[in-house]
Amino acid sequence: MGELCQAEIAIIGAGPAGMAAAIRLTQAGIRPVVFDMGNAPGGQIYRQLDVPVIGETLSGTDYYRGRDLLGDFSRADIDYRPRSQVWWGQCESDGVSLGVVDAAGVSRWHVKRMLLATGSMERSWPFPGWQLPGSMQAGAAQILFKEGGLVPEASPVLAGSGPLLYLLAWQYCRAGCAPQRILDTTPASRYRLPLRYLRGAWQGRHYLVKGARMMLALKRAGVPIHHGVEALEATGKHRVERVHYYWRGHWHHQDTSLVLTHFGVVPEPQLGRAIGIPYDWHEGQQCFLPERNRSLQARTRVWVAGDGGGIGGALNAEREGRLAALSMLTIPTNDVADRKRERRRLEQRRATDLAVRPLLEAMFRLPSHWLSEQPDTTLVCRCECVSLGELRRAIEQGAAGPNQLKAFTRCGMGPCQGRECGESVTRLLSTVQALPPQEIGYYQVRPPVQALSLGELAATATDA
Amino acid sequence: MFQRIAESSVIDGVDIQLDGEICRVPITLSVAAAVLFIKGDADYRRHVDGHARAPFCLMGCCHECLITIDGEPNRRGCLVSVAEGMSIERQLGGSQDDG
Amino acid sequence: MQSDFLIIGGGVVGMAVAYGLARDGQRVSVLDESDDAFRASRGNAGLTWVQGKGLGMPHYAELSLDASLTWPAFAAELEARTAIDIEHECRGGVDLCFDASEAKVRQRDYAKLQLSSRHLAQHFRWEYLDRQALQTYLPGLGESIHGGTWSPHDGHCNPLHLLRALHAACRSLGLEYHASTPVLSLSPCLNGFRAATPDSEFHAERVIVAAGLGARNLAPMLGLSGTVRPVRGQMLVTERMPRVEQLPTPQLRQTATGGYLIGDTHEEVGFDKGVSLEMMSCLADRAVRIYPFLRQARLIRAWGALRIMTPDGAPLYEASSRYPGAYNLNCHSGISLAAFHANELARAIIDDRLEERWSAFSGARFNVPAHC
Ligand SMILES: Cc1cc2nc3c(=O)[nH]c(=O)nc-3n(C[C@H](O)[C@H](O)[C@H](O)COP(=O)(O)OP(=O)(O)OC[C@H]3O[C@@H](n4cnc5c(N)ncnc54)[C@H](O)[C@@H]3O)c2cc1C
Ligand SMILES: Cc1cc2nc3c(=O)[nH]c(=O)nc-3n(C[C@H](O)[C@H](O)[C@H](O)COP(=O)(O)OP(=O)(O)OC[C@H]3O[C@@H](n4cnc5c(N)ncnc54)[C@H](O)[C@@H]3O)c2cc1C
Repeated sequence: MGELCQAEIAIIGAGPAGMAAAIRLTQAGIRPVVFDMGNAPGGQIYRQLDVPVIGETLSGTDYYRGRDLLGDFSRADIDYRPRSQVWWGQCESDGVSLGVVDAAGVSRWHVKRMLLATGSMERSWPFPGWQLPGSMQAGAAQILFKEGGLVPEASPVLAGSGPLLYLLAWQYCRAGCAPQRILDTTPASRYRLPLRYLRGAWQGRHYLVKGARMMLALKRAGVPIHHGVEALEATGKHRVERVHYYWRGHWHHQDTSLVLTHFGVVPEPQLGRAIGIPYDWHEGQQCFLPERNRSLQARTRVWVAGDGGGIGGALNAEREGRLAALSMLTIPTNDVADRKRERRRLEQRRATDLAVRPLLEAMFRLPSHWLSEQPDTTLVCRCECVSLGELRRAIEQGAAGPNQLKAFTRCGMGPCQGRECGESVTRLLSTVQALPPQEIGYYQVRPPVQALSLGELAATATDA
Repeated sequence: MFQRIAESSVIDGVDIQLDGEICRVPITLSVAAAVLFIKGDADYRRHVDGHARAPFCLMGCCHECLITIDGEPNRRGCLVSVAEGMSIERQLGGSQDDG
Repeated sequence: MQSDFLIIGGGVVGMAVAYGLARDGQRVSVLDESDDAFRASRGNAGLTWVQGKGLGMPHYAELSLDASLTWPAFAAELEARTAIDIEHECRGGVDLCFDASEAKVRQRDYAKLQLSSRHLAQHFRWEYLDRQALQTYLPGLGESIHGGTWSPHDGHCNPLHLLRALHAACRSLGLEYHASTPVLSLSPCLNGFRAATPDSEFHAERVIVAAGLGARNLAPMLGLSGTVRPVRGQMLVTERMPRVEQLPTPQLRQTATGGYLIGDTHEEVGFDKGVSLEMMSCLADRAVRIYPFLRQARLIRAWGALRIMTPDGAPLYEASSRYPGAYNLNCHSGISLAAFHANELARAIIDDRLEERWSAFSGARFNVPAHC
């Protein structure tokens, strides 16, 4: 079975949640192993911060705030393994088994406890033409910005909803390539919601102020912002040439070679689901979240912290990482009282931080009928090219759930393993059958969670 | 289609081979980012249905950035950093796997 | 809600029989469980296979052979009705042998089977081919493979499209399909049978239990044995690969979309459809020994599914003697036998001649007293 590696605690993901947890564990004398797919620690928000490419005036202050965390992480005694993908996991009575693939091949690990800090991904939100080159997620554009200081040569159109859209627009403005326009699917009236969520608005005032400042800056820079865009389409022969949007009762057209979309982020579901953590639909966040208790524990030996457990932002991820670390420490020590106090403080801070979430969720709530109003030709499964019309036909023929629908159409059977179409399929069935998403359920997720070759897998066979 | 902003810090470059052509790119880029930087997205990859596709998420989820790296086909270009002497070939054969 | 037939189970067995009945003008309702139920019909290898079936039970071998002959017409009929391509192909198949002793046992078994029945002696064709001779059928075959038995009767299809086409065809014939409607109990009533589900009751003149592993609970309620047990099979599928002209094998086959389907294990692990690292690596190891060019192929998915196994591995077709009009159908080759289920088996049920016509597959052979 190849060599079996062992550790007390494994952390999957070196974003703010994973880094904070690892640091806290080392303070208690534990040396955790941290697996992360990335080339350097930081996760999504602090990507490339170890060797920053863009300065603080361009990135915004939140980015550079992560330097302390990165510093602590690099100084702590952690078995940090970059470029390591966890492709398989299994809960056992005495711990968790993990399959890890890195440049050297496949290894098998057994750990007593595990923290999933696998973060979030951008929500897939189908519209006609979203599969064309020239249509990218806003997060992808931001990654190019952070990794290499890359910005579009021609001014792009930004579309969708949520803070990241405005952050990117603001960053582009600062870098001297203001977007042509912003097509915001959020109706203007929603930006007045803070008046109704006073507590949340107060607790999250710095978010709101930051958001308002960004919008103001964009307006000053002359970027048109259209609130309440109801439909979107990208067209072009081999790549995006134009975008079309439905706004104020009419279709409008705009020539562009690049449309960057953002429709919020959702927990990356693959590993959590593959090891059998139950997920529940969260009405506010409009996605499935893993079930966790107050100590952020999801199963006997498994904890989930950070955006992978529910969208809460980078600071919350850090706090959750620390909380989970405290809860994972089983050995009684003489600083029990201190730890209790620490935990209470973290819980309070976390509650304060999360208080703004219901407001943000209400503000950026996506239209639930979006998918069902798309034309039949819209691709839902990008990998296997399964269109909405094809899914509708299969549902009529008796595909009553996500897994049967997948079997009937190959939707979700491609290389991405349903990451890009899973939520859409749940939404579609939910609309057609007039049942809540929770009752519809989701694909059964199976290994491999990350790609590996048959040769690599075969190398772990007993007689190989 | 993407350019480097003047304000970004000076980064070392590495020489890679893209479809046989030697190009110098910033060392911090992923393979997918490097290809977008040099060639743009128009001919990044051809999908099973024969249509052009290009990276969509750049963070390991969508698998739209599949590309041949050092002879190994269908690798996620967004997860691999460029390295000196690396050979990259775009998959324009019309399937996810023409390697 | 009175219909002629109530079928419990919307897998490939229930739907094939349902199709045969509906095509004959019967009013049929199918009750099925939810999306995440055990459903072998969604996790199998898609072989329409003959060789090796019915070792020790020639009737089963004959049935498999005859079913394979009717498959092409059946596939064409379904495709004409639904425009769904089932991807059925019957150009022969090869069951590989990894070493000399396996090859020896295999040839002895097949020879013996042929001797046991005139029908088989006349019609079952097969041949042992060594590695060299297999190269035309399986280009790229690895060095370590000894050889394999070739037979012209074997083929494969897309089992998921088969299931979908059966659903679609049944629907166009007016069949009522109820998903997420688990049957809790079955009982006889005044003019037929009653099926109780959490939310309602269904009635029909006759009832067919085609519930796969669900037969264990349901069949005994109507004096039927339903003696089946789960046997897990794990499978792997790779990314799409360039299409190669090659024959299917039970160890692996290339599907119409290009992915290699690699199977499968036989594990007695109860009601657990999980996967294990040991078995996944073992399957991968075997696959790259068969086709070394698969080393670089990326694994897309691994899964486990539960076979519906009778004590002797042959199908179980039973009619209740205590409650005439109640039937139980189980088999662990529901793809291979689909054409037969939709045609002759459905006919025998319509005529109520199941036990008479297919007595070899009756539950009586297990001599398990139906429990009351
Ligand atoms: C594309 C994107 C851009 C964002 N940009 C911003 C921003 O600019 N500003 C902001 O405030 N917030 C941003 N966010 C939100 C922010 O990322 C989160 O709030 C925060 O990073 C959450 O931290 P985390 O530790 O939970 O997860 P992450 O930071 O996402 O870290 C998760 C880590 O786990 C790794 N991982 C996942 N699965 C595996 C596996 N199977 N094996 C090995 N490693 C694995 C990932 O590679 C990643 O490094 C962004 C989110 C996304 C998705
Ligand atoms: C790994 C593997 C590989 C295989 N390969 C092949 C192959 O290559 N060729 C071949 O011919 N066969 C193969 N088989 C066998 C084949 O899959 C089965 O014979 C066939 O799918 C059985 O169909 P079924 O309808 O009887 O059972 P299932 O598909 O299990 O369907 C039973 C249905 O009954 C429903 N049900 C159960 N209880 C209730 C209840 N109380 N109320 C309502 N509904 C209920 C279930 O939800 C389910 O939908 C394979 C099987 C496995 C596991």
